[in-house]
Amino acid sequence: MDDRLKETLSAMMDDEADELSVRRLLSHARQDEVRAQWQRWQQVRDLMHQGNLSDDRVDVSAGVREALDGGAPPLSGPVARHQVGAERKWHWPAVAMVTLALAVGFGAGAGWESADSSDSMANAGITAEQSEGRNAGTVVEPMQEVALQGLDEEQWEHVSRYLLEHAQHNSVGAGRGSVGYARLVSASGSGY
Amino acid sequence: MIRRTVTGIRGRYLKRGRQLLTLVVLMAASLMGQAVADTDSENAEYWLDRLGPALNMTSYRGVFVYARGDQVSSMQIAHRYQDGVVEERLVPQDGASGEIVRKGMRVVCVLPDHGRIQLDQVIPSGPFAEAFSSQFMPVSRWYQPQLAGDDRIAGYDVVKLALKAKDDLRYSHQLWLEKSTGLLVKSHVRSSDGEVLEHFQFTSLEITDSLSDSEFVIRTKGEEVARNLSPEQTASPAPRMDGWTLEWQPDGFIPAAAPRSGKGRAVAFSDGLAAFSVFVEPARKIAMPTGASRIGATTVYMKQLDIDGAGFFVTVVGEIPPTTARKVAESVRVDDTLAFGAIGQ
Repeated sequence: MDDRLKETLSAMMDDEADELSVRRLLSHARQDEVRAQWQRWQQVRDLMHQGNLSDDRVDVSAGVREALDGGAPPLSGPVARHQVGAERKWHWPAVAMVTLALAVGFGAGAGWESADSSDSMANAGITAEQSEGRNAGTVVEPMQEVALQGLDEEQWEHVSRYLLEHAQHNSVGAGRGSVGYARLVSASGSGY
Repeated sequence: MIRRTVTGIRGRYLKRGRQLLTLVVLMAASLMGQAVADTDSENAEYWLDRLGPALNMTSYRGVFVYARGDQVSSMQIAHRYQDGVVEERLVPQDGASGEIVRKGMRVVCVLPDHGRIQLDQVIPSGPFAEAFSSQFMPVSRWYQPQLAGDDRIAGYDVVKLALKAKDDLRYSHQLWLEKSTGLLVKSHVRSSDGEVLEHFQFTSLEITDSLSDSEFVIRTKGEEVARNLSPEQTASPAPRMDGWTLEWQPDGFIPAAAPRSGKGRAVAFSDGLAAFSVFVEPARKIAMPTGASRIGATTVYMKQLDIDGAGFFVTVVGEIPPTTARKVAESVRVDDTLAFGAIGQ
């Protein structure tokens, strides 16, 4: 499955995919791959927003075909065992957030998450300084923000190497096992 | 029954012991508010003790999801502990295909060239301290451990363990451990306002001893990168902060590994749960911005230093709040620019 198809899948979750690309996705030779990708993203969405997993064996492709054709799903290919939409509620915007990050890659997820968190961090900084017994009167400079996606190629290479090395320290050194490996692969995965 | 035991203890101990006991009881009462919470904390320690060994000595297969910030990945894993040797095979489920196979201390990676990153730069070639896991870490000194109830994850009964950071220097953690083995099946890293910054969870899991050899065979075709992680060569566990020192480090974080992988001068610190790495490198032709970036719970703080006209990059990477990372980065002092000479060219 290439990146363009993944993008379509992502757009589908966002309810923004155009019909042509959805048809292209549905005619992809490896429907099992498409389904697996969809289910993984679905699982992630469930995990992040409900804290538990729903039935992951739903095949939506037939339902989508039906909607596109305005009729019954074709007999060939995988058949949906569940009716789409009837049993499950979809949180489109949330899915979109997750999948967009997946499609665009690492860079998109970097930087501050919200203005709120940067505020609270500046405050935390003051508390930390004061509790350390340093000059309480010193004004703490606001935290400088660096957007990783703004780095040029060389700079990014630098940072990603550090991320990877640190992840290695974690996986082997910290005895965190798979969490550490996950950090490692997450850092190297969609590395740009 | 309990009352009788307490009376028995008090009868046997002298006045000092009684004072101590009173003090402990008072402290416990003031800290947790109730005696039940006290047992909770003890039980939490019990589970915490099981965490490390369980990660290595449980045999299982499954798929887990890992999310930090907006970034999500999932991985298939098979893990076997047999005759004292850990075998592991990890297959990323997203992006380009590849795998990591580990047998004991030998790690083989088959990962395609990820654009601008070569993995062989990354796998440590030299001694690597397995210090964190074997070393005693008084985690409860920096985190308030507490049992937070039962749950079910990936079909297994789990106990939820909350580790609340006692200060602003670190994040809070929540761990879900499988009841019979103590295996970590889910974890959260949370900011002080309770926002989940990092999420790890098995979506399918089978804890079983019947894992065949064939599950640990490399199947992806591609360039293999192999390294031995040999702890026996770790003659000196002391960190190698050649030419630089930290004037300040957050309480509880101690130097833990001395990797020799990259050309950077890296030292890792851990408090038993969280870790950060400090990199100090001579600045070459490129310029780096100053400031912090966050990817979920991971902070990258970059800074440039000028010592006698020589430039240095200081980078702190870790699962710590940006304020902590900045303080660490700002406390780096380069005291021997010559120590960097050989690699500065």
